[in-house]
Amino acid sequence: MALRIFLIRRLALFVPLLLGILLFTFFLVRIGGQDPVGLIAGPTATTAEIAMIRGQLGLDQPIPTQFWIYLGNVLEGDLGRSWISQKPVLRDVLDRFPITLELLLWGTLIGALVAVPVGLRAAFKHDRLFDIVSRSISLLGFSVPTYFLGLLMLFVFFYLLGWAPPGMGRISLMVTPPPTVTGSYLIDSLLIGNLEGARSALGQLVLPVLCVAIISAAPIAKHTRAIALEVMSSDYVRYADATGLEPSARIRIVLRNSRTPILTFVGTELTGLIGTAALIEYVFAWGGLGQYGLNAIIRGDFSAVQGYVLALALFSLIVFLVIDILVLLLDPRTAETS
Amino acid sequence: MTQAVQDAPVVVGRSVRPSVLDYIVGFAKRSPTATIGLVLIGFFALLAIFAPWLMPYDPVAVNVNEILQAPSAKHWFGTDNNGMDVLSRVIYGARYAFGIAVPAVFLGLTIGVPIGLYTGYRGGLIDEVVMRVMDALRVFPSIILSLAVVAAAGPSLFNVVVVIGVLDAALFVRIVRAEVLALRSSNFVESGVALGNPLWRILFIHLLPNAIQGAMAQSAVRGAWAVRISATLAFLGIGIQPPTPEWGAMIRVGAESIVNGQWWVGIFPGVALILMVLGLNMLGDGLQDLLDPRRKSGAR
Repeated sequence: MALRIFLIRRLALFVPLLLGILLFTFFLVRIGGQDPVGLIAGPTATTAEIAMIRGQLGLDQPIPTQFWIYLGNVLEGDLGRSWISQKPVLRDVLDRFPITLELLLWGTLIGALVAVPVGLRAAFKHDRLFDIVSRSISLLGFSVPTYFLGLLMLFVFFYLLGWAPPGMGRISLMVTPPPTVTGSYLIDSLLIGNLEGARSALGQLVLPVLCVAIISAAPIAKHTRAIALEVMSSDYVRYADATGLEPSARIRIVLRNSRTPILTFVGTELTGLIGTAALIEYVFAWGGLGQYGLNAIIRGDFSAVQGYVLALALFSLIVFLVIDILVLLLDPRTAETS
Repeated sequence: MTQAVQDAPVVVGRSVRPSVLDYIVGFAKRSPTATIGLVLIGFFALLAIFAPWLMPYDPVAVNVNEILQAPSAKHWFGTDNNGMDVLSRVIYGARYAFGIAVPAVFLGLTIGVPIGLYTGYRGGLIDEVVMRVMDALRVFPSIILSLAVVAAAGPSLFNVVVVIGVLDAALFVRIVRAEVLALRSSNFVESGVALGNPLWRILFIHLLPNAIQGAMAQSAVRGAWAVRISATLAFLGIGIQPPTPEWGAMIRVGAESIVNGQWWVGIFPGVALILMVLGLNMLGDGLQDLLDPRRKSGAR
């Protein structure tokens, strides 16, 4: 019951938020000097040709009218055409989203599986050797630029050791990609029983996923530790200590009370990591939504940038929603207060 | 015996007054993390200040005879694909790191702190609007946001600084506002109001000194972020362009040759970037520890 009210309230909030995001990205791509018409038409275009392209794109209309038309199109599921790929933006975004999701989910999952236990242990071993070492490593993880980590990985594991394939795409050029079912080459290859394809896809996945995992682990470990420490300094844990409970019971109390804030943090991390994943995709020529978005931004592909940012915002909102529902299910106290 | 007693006060008097060195040692003991951070930042600050005297070569001098030379006694860090000396370029790059981080964080503080003070103290509609805008900004990953704005506004050093500063401001608003919320009904503020202080005096004379600490500690971390983001923009080819001796732009150039084994072009500026960002992060972490002795480190 509480869940249903909560869901209705949250979904109602989506509407103004999405409208704001559409407005924001629409004006964002138009504030500066980038003019896609010149880029599309090329250097040899005549003034008449440029005017014609401008008219085709609707860029000769006043900006409020342009926004109105854009809004109507979006509601009909038309995000415009990308002039780089020459395809509808919606198609591009839907095609590429699973590719990015594969990278993002594996990376964050592995990162969290390592970082959460490390952060918890660091909190329990507060100021002891394990804590100091793990905090130092986490600080280093905070300071390594994403793309540099990717390059370093390629240099060590591809060039020096020869263990990894070159960072060019999601599957070896020698292997025919499997027919698209989920969009993940690994899963799709396994579905049709193509072990060679699956192995190639897995090999291509390892380094980029490792990069995302490393970049995500540092903040997750740091915040898990902080959350657990905060819980340990709370009155109820002090009370548990005072009643003389055995250490295992104390650990259980701390874990139960830290799990929802940790879950919330991992969720926010997941949305923030889209930026990280885009850079990793750029370095490894991954060809997902992130690389698509970066290219669109760099080359001034208005419709594609809008579509990309809209997809990011939607993804973030959905992740926040799922996390909130999980928190609600794990911790009934939030249901009472909300 | 008497003689010894008479001599004693001189010695004691000298040792009781702490010297500058004692302060430094005391600080280093209280926060080794912040101290290591300061040493790293100090090192790069020296590189930036004395760059013209430290650089063995002109950082942008093209030398077609010495393209992609491996590190040697002549070129300690090797040369890049233009034959430019990588060591000289790494040293000069420190100037760009400071030249972006310092004004960007300063801009962030100048915009963010007054807004945080005002919205936290006054509340009401403006506070509500500002906080909703902050919430909406959270939906976008900061790298994508800064990239999109710089790409749209044009790739200049000025635009990079402004974008980073404005995004920083959003964070400082949050921190200062939270502090002010906790302070606004305290006795010293209420007596300040009762004495007839105008709003600006309440905000800047009474509240500011009590609410600024968190933002100051965080500004080192934001500086680290500024160095990282600006380098990322340059790496992507937006922002500062090669052959400018900026670390991110140098990594971009190095990326082309790293998988052919010419690692020195990209690795050295990358290591410099990591150390600089690490120094700022360590300083920020250490300062936060010092400000919050109850919960030692980690928490933000």
